[in-house]
Amino acid sequence: MKLKSFKILSLVASLLFFASSCVKTDSYAGPDASLHGNIIEEGSKNNVQTCTGNFSIRLEQLSWDSTPTPQDIPVSYDGSYQNTKLFSGHYRVSIHGGAFWPVAPEEMDITSASIKDFTLTPYVVINNFTAVMTDSTTLKLNFDIDAPVAGIPKVLEIQPYVNTTQVVGPGASIFDFSDLKKITVNKEWSDFTPADKSREIIIEDMVPGRIFYVRVGVKFDNNDKSSNLSQIIKITVPGR
Amino acid sequence: MKKRLLNIVAGCLLLASCQKLDIPPVNILSDQDVFTSEAGINAYLATVYRKLPIEDFTYRPDGRNDGVGNVGFNLHHEWEHFYCEGAADGEMVGPYGGVDIAGGFGYWPYASIRDVNYFIETLPKYASNFTGDKVSNLLGEAHFLRAYYYFAMAKRYGGIPIIKVVQHYPQQTIEELQVPRNTEEEVWNFIGDDLDTAYQMMGETSAKERANKYVAMALKSRAMLYAGSIARYGSQVFVDGEARSQGFVGISADKAAGYYQKAIDAAKMLEGHYQLYRTKADKIENYVNVFLDPASSENILVRSFYAGDPERNHSFDATFSPNSDMNYMTSGGLSRAYPTLEFVQHFNSFDFVTNADGTPRRYNNQGDMAQGLEPRLRATVYFPGDVLRGQVFDVQAGIYPSFSGTAADEVAKPVGSRSFILSGDHTTLRNGRLIIGKAGMYPPAFGNDNNTRTGFYVRKYIDYTKSISAVNLFTSTTPWIEFRYAEILLNRAEADIETNQTDDALKCINDLRDRAGAALASVGDMTVSTVRNERCKELAFENHYWWDIKRWRIADQLLNNTHFHGLMPYYVESENKYIFLKELELFNRNYYFDKKFYYEAMPGGELATNPNLYPNNPGH
Repeated sequence: MKLKSFKILSLVASLLFFASSCVKTDSYAGPDASLHGNIIEEGSKNNVQTCTGNFSIRLEQLSWDSTPTPQDIPVSYDGSYQNTKLFSGHYRVSIHGGAFWPVAPEEMDITSASIKDFTLTPYVVINNFTAVMTDSTTLKLNFDIDAPVAGIPKVLEIQPYVNTTQVVGPGASIFDFSDLKKITVNKEWSDFTPADKSREIIIEDMVPGRIFYVRVGVKFDNNDKSSNLSQIIKITVPGR
Repeated sequence: MKKRLLNIVAGCLLLASCQKLDIPPVNILSDQDVFTSEAGINAYLATVYRKLPIEDFTYRPDGRNDGVGNVGFNLHHEWEHFYCEGAADGEMVGPYGGVDIAGGFGYWPYASIRDVNYFIETLPKYASNFTGDKVSNLLGEAHFLRAYYYFAMAKRYGGIPIIKVVQHYPQQTIEELQVPRNTEEEVWNFIGDDLDTAYQMMGETSAKERANKYVAMALKSRAMLYAGSIARYGSQVFVDGEARSQGFVGISADKAAGYYQKAIDAAKMLEGHYQLYRTKADKIENYVNVFLDPASSENILVRSFYAGDPERNHSFDATFSPNSDMNYMTSGGLSRAYPTLEFVQHFNSFDFVTNADGTPRRYNNQGDMAQGLEPRLRATVYFPGDVLRGQVFDVQAGIYPSFSGTAADEVAKPVGSRSFILSGDHTTLRNGRLIIGKAGMYPPAFGNDNNTRTGFYVRKYIDYTKSISAVNLFTSTTPWIEFRYAEILLNRAEADIETNQTDDALKCINDLRDRAGAALASVGDMTVSTVRNERCKELAFENHYWWDIKRWRIADQLLNNTHFHGLMPYYVESENKYIFLKELELFNRNYYFDKKFYYEAMPGGELATNPNLYPNNPGH
């Protein structure tokens, strides 16, 4: 009996103790702000074509600390981005990674439903991209590469990306149809011949009866070896 | 009665306690206890040596959560030695899913550096307790140790704060204690200077686990070689960023030659004091024993391991040879990391496994394939047909009932349309013959990597003298050789070739090649790539390659969505022959090295406590 009452007493005491720690609530506002926007290509005014992990929007909350820990919002494959759980405050917003001419960071206040679009000039644009089945299992890709501004980093590789979903690009592709078809270029843009700029890639042994999503990319020897990417084309391989 | 007695005792205790209160605490070792005797000093330095960032068998390059966050060195009860650098950089394929070690584990050894700084500040006060040049020797040793800690940070982060004195809190303000980063160049120069001091103060001999003046020069040759290549190649391949423009990472290219020359000068200091190990006439046996003979004339600094205590021994023997779940070559443990075809191709193209017409060459016995290869390679890697502890490396990927056509055509066939028989069991027979052999590979779909994924097993450092029953987890005591003379020759040769001193480089390379049983080089062969290739061969699996391909700034080309290969042995039933096919390793993993990995990110926790560590390294 004595032991039992001691147990009850200690339970009550510890509950009181724990409860007392809840008395002081923190006075910080919740993550009530959000930021979204589009990444627009300078020339065409369309959203830039990108892919998972290619580049991101970097936020640094200067109103919190002069050397804040950066927070990156990945840009989705259609060239838009958003984060709906941000803390209101003054931020430095910049573009982290990607195959673009650099854009200066901007400082802005982020509150609820803030919008920030970026306009970028890619190192190269991929025009006239076509993908056609030349026979029942062979896919032919044609495209032209153009650099809007001279002086771009060295081009490392040109390669197709094929996947079974529309999430397709570097890091999301079928090895045999993509990496094995990689063209190693390793050339400065100034050394590109007209033939180098107008490419054809043949992918054999596509699986009959399947749907594939295909695009091509040009990879640069820049800081993060990122790529400029074409639009995505949906291909239906005829069934047997 | 009893109660009164207690009262009296309590009263006495109370009175006694009043007698003298102001005594030094008896449960804490004071400087007086430590610094007045050699035993005290040894105990102090033992901790510093134990924490020294030597990347030995037990080092885990990506760190492991040890209850106090991620730790890479001195892990508690670590046995999974296949989580090694070699398993992430392409020397081997292993448990890592790719280049998983590039982030490091936030190594930040300023507590240990403080121990060294404290030693340097305190020992002179007790100098009268020692005779002769003992104090000078010990202080020299401390400078070596400090340089070693800074070396381990410089190769990860570039410029970090140089702290040469003991910091005091709360006597010093927080602002004073938030020391800013030094430039990368300042850090490498500081390391060089500390090692020069160490060289001048230390004697010529030491216990094999402790430094002497030549050990200091061994580290200097390595460190200055690193600095030279960072200056030369880091100015060609880099990620732009604030840290680079402010000099916290990167060294200007015109400094390269100076560092290389320092590496050569330091390496030459060891000449005549250490020799390459040449004890056995048989070149393979001799090279195997380089790593097992504790009396090797090549050893400059080792870390010893001791039997009995799991925290002071290691498990290398039980984690790199096949157990095959049947105690085949070990009586416990398992292996998970295997040399790649790309690694063995540093020695030989292995094109000889294919005939001129493209068909696979037929071998009567499994072991015939490796005959005639360079002895050093045979001593570094176990090939199919080799024997360890009386058991054969009986490695097969499967059995072909019959085989026709070329190797290339066969390998190019889609998975599933190849006709060989495979098995997920080491005891399954086909017509009286094991399908995959007792050391052979599981089918890819099994996802089991406890046997080779490439056809090869590691041989370097495997103690062949132990019996099977003696090989288990926590039973290995083979010392780790941190510095051996072969590396010094390679440091010298590389710095030589980078500064056009070809004759000296040739001399070093041929010393190594002669011992290795390899064909000697001529002046015409001597290029940067020859010397680098020699380094890859000689120092394989010794935790050099990762740092080498980083400082040469070629990791982003070598590990560019790379898939590694093996040399898969098959038995052809209809012909009673063996064939070998170059194929993707069983797990077909992808290895990608991002350029920003040339420097690790400054540890996040440290950035939070010291804003002066900003800017963070480029790309992070």
